[in-house]
Amino acid sequence: MIVKSIDALRETLERCDREGLKVLIEGGKTLAGMGPALPRADVSIATTGLNKMLAHESADLTCSAQSGMRVAHLNEALAKHGQFVPIDVPLRKKATIGGSLAAGWPGPRRHFYGRARDFVIGSQVCLADGTLASAGGMVVKNVSGYNMDKLYIGSFGTLAVFTHLNFKTLPIPKKRRALIAPLPEATRPRAIAQIASMAVVPAAAFCVEGFGKNVDGSDDIDGRVLLYFEGTEELLERATLDARSALGKAGVPETTIIDTGASESFDRTLDACIANKRGRSITYRLFGLPGTVEERAVRLRDACNRHELFTDVLFDVMNGDVFVRASERDATRFSEKIATCHAELRELEPRCAIVAGDSAARASFEPWGAVPPGIEKMRALKARFDPHGTLNPGRFIGGI
Amino acid sequence: MLQQRLIEALGTDAVKTAPEDLAVYAFDAYSQGVMPAAVVLPASTREVAAAVKIANDCGEPVIPRGAGTGLCGGAIPARGGVIFSFARMNRVLEVDARNRRARVQPGLINLDLSKHVAKAGMFYAPDPSSQKVSTIGGNIGTNAGGPHCLSYGTTVNHVLELEIVDENGDVILTSLDDIGYDLTGVLVGSEGTLGIVTSAWVRLLRQPETVRVWLAAFDDVHAASAAVTGIIGAGIIPTALEMMDQVMLPAIEAAFHAGYPTDAAAVLLIESAGFEDEMNLHESEISRVVKEHHATTWRAAKSEAERDALWAGRKGALGATGRIAPNYYIQDVVVPRTKLPQALQAVADACEPQGIIAGNVFHAGDGNLHPLLMYDRGDPKQVAAVIEAGNQILGAAVDLGGTISGEHGIGYEKRDTLRRIFSTDDLATMSRVREVFDPKRRLNPEKIFPAGIGCAEVQ
Repeated sequence: MIVKSIDALRETLERCDREGLKVLIEGGKTLAGMGPALPRADVSIATTGLNKMLAHESADLTCSAQSGMRVAHLNEALAKHGQFVPIDVPLRKKATIGGSLAAGWPGPRRHFYGRARDFVIGSQVCLADGTLASAGGMVVKNVSGYNMDKLYIGSFGTLAVFTHLNFKTLPIPKKRRALIAPLPEATRPRAIAQIASMAVVPAAAFCVEGFGKNVDGSDDIDGRVLLYFEGTEELLERATLDARSALGKAGVPETTIIDTGASESFDRTLDACIANKRGRSITYRLFGLPGTVEERAVRLRDACNRHELFTDVLFDVMNGDVFVRASERDATRFSEKIATCHAELRELEPRCAIVAGDSAARASFEPWGAVPPGIEKMRALKARFDPHGTLNPGRFIGGI
Repeated sequence: MLQQRLIEALGTDAVKTAPEDLAVYAFDAYSQGVMPAAVVLPASTREVAAAVKIANDCGEPVIPRGAGTGLCGGAIPARGGVIFSFARMNRVLEVDARNRRARVQPGLINLDLSKHVAKAGMFYAPDPSSQKVSTIGGNIGTNAGGPHCLSYGTTVNHVLELEIVDENGDVILTSLDDIGYDLTGVLVGSEGTLGIVTSAWVRLLRQPETVRVWLAAFDDVHAASAAVTGIIGAGIIPTALEMMDQVMLPAIEAAFHAGYPTDAAAVLLIESAGFEDEMNLHESEISRVVKEHHATTWRAAKSEAERDALWAGRKGALGATGRIAPNYYIQDVVVPRTKLPQALQAVADACEPQGIIAGNVFHAGDGNLHPLLMYDRGDPKQVAAVIEAGNQILGAAVDLGGTISGEHGIGYEKRDTLRRIFSTDDLATMSRVREVFDPKRRLNPEKIFPAGIGCAEVQ
């Protein structure tokens, strides 16, 4: 059911909790490839009916929006006043702000602007028993009480359901630019080191192998590097000189500049992180330090290749996130190969998690990887917030 | 029994039991609690864990303490117990320059971290005014801010991983990159009520190429407030945007010779950092805005020494209040920045009828006010008047859509005030977290939560 009011959400949850019904919470379903294949639930609740902008105090650089509002709609509304919130998620026209924050998707511009979580200044949630609880407020600085927003963000809807979120906003950068260049593997380590030490820090920087037309640039065997810059005209001119010089030193001869459509190019790169080949692909994500990003990407890719799976690789130079999509041309062959490959990947990198793939393709795999050291506290929190296991039961790490 | 067991576990040098030693730890910068049963100065995580277990066995509360600079009584032993001082756990353990992060012990002084990594071209961004003495552990406890949090964010934005000792004496590691609940984010700002931080990986930032500091003076505090809104509204977020008023300017100038105009109604100190070209743009734009708001003085610091002098005045402002009155009481409230004029008026309305001199030195860009209420502690009438005025200011901030603490925390002082901004359900929901981490309520009891919230009484 699509809830259209806070009261409806509250009443539905309270009733389900009382009657022992299991509830699946959905936003735009864009990140449904995260977590286990969708479990059976008694009730599905979509928050997409809660889609209003509640306030935009443009002079204060704050806003408040209901959780079912699409990320793109939020930023379109803010853009009328020259503002935005950097919530970097795939498929942002469809993704909801509540779902994006609940999924804790790691934005590639987080080293530049901060994480999406850092822009949340307040929220209201509905707990499993129907209690409405607020935290934070509508001011940009606030240490009144616990950081409850932080607890709900990234909790995959297992503790509570966002009803609305308050954000601090930023002025839209005056200009955006993408620089794209081919990047042979042999030149990669040097190029990455150069990018990491550039004076003008890119808003985002990716190395990509494969992904065809999903990602801009030539999809030949060499792979490519994509740098995104945001700022003033003057800054971008300097960034371009710096980037060309840095890449030149690494042996990368030519760079293509994209000014018109740089944002769309960035969005396509984000979308590629969860681009799925129906029934015959799974995408893994592995967090880590930027300093080890390439070696981890190569390790995962080579492991997939050893099982004769095709791979597309995308990694985030500035933050250290690795995305590797393993695929086959044929669904049957894929399911045969991925079973052994998955086991090997887990041995190599216990923390790699599945973030995309059809339910059928990933049904038999534990998706989240090694449990973190604080898992017992997490389980206790789940038990305290949702004692009957009503919200998204079993969907999160460690069977939470 | 307690003292003897602590001495056996940590050694004589690491345990203080003499009444004259314990008395020192009964205070923090807010006020006095009761005498603690013991003070421990552990040298390692293992010793922290051992001492927590002993305190538990003896049924004693555990109170972590940084430098004791907290202004809301967060470090006072409200119910006695064992104070954990981190004066011996004060080192930078590791600097990872490639990944721009450092692992530090909780007793490390905030400014010492930036000094430590300066040669590598990096710095640690959160910079509370107490940064010369306050510790990273204390900053994590209160989610401390500072002037530069306008663009860099508060402490929670800069903590990547934590090692904590929990209420049972067990060690838990948390990381922002872990899949699972963001325990790191909840622990920051929890004022030692959920665990004791024993080390932290924190984020370092690259030093900017250029830093510019400008001073703008106004004849009217409302014009200065409007200029703050104008600067942000022009799409510029400076790294710091501070305001000082007519009460404070002469005192600060007399104490620090910072170069502030002493006859102005308000002065804005504005800092921006980045690339030379960008700074030129910021300078022309900010200059345009402040002149539109009738700034009487506008000048840029011409040298690093001049820049440092302007900042020294701002950061040392609290010390200058001694020239106005024997004592001061500082409030910490936040309002939407467009409501600054009303908030400043509310401060005046709360203080003037009672004859209290109120000065203002604050983070205007964040809407974070710090009214300084001058008084004489020896006069009970003045003490009562200041408490009353402080309460009125809190109420006014809430009425203006703001909150009761921007960076000092809730601690002991404001725990009952929390009811002004949160419902019983809101507070009971927060207390669910407390019940998981501290079911026996022995970690820094009587802090943050008002008594009697929700389904369990929360100390």
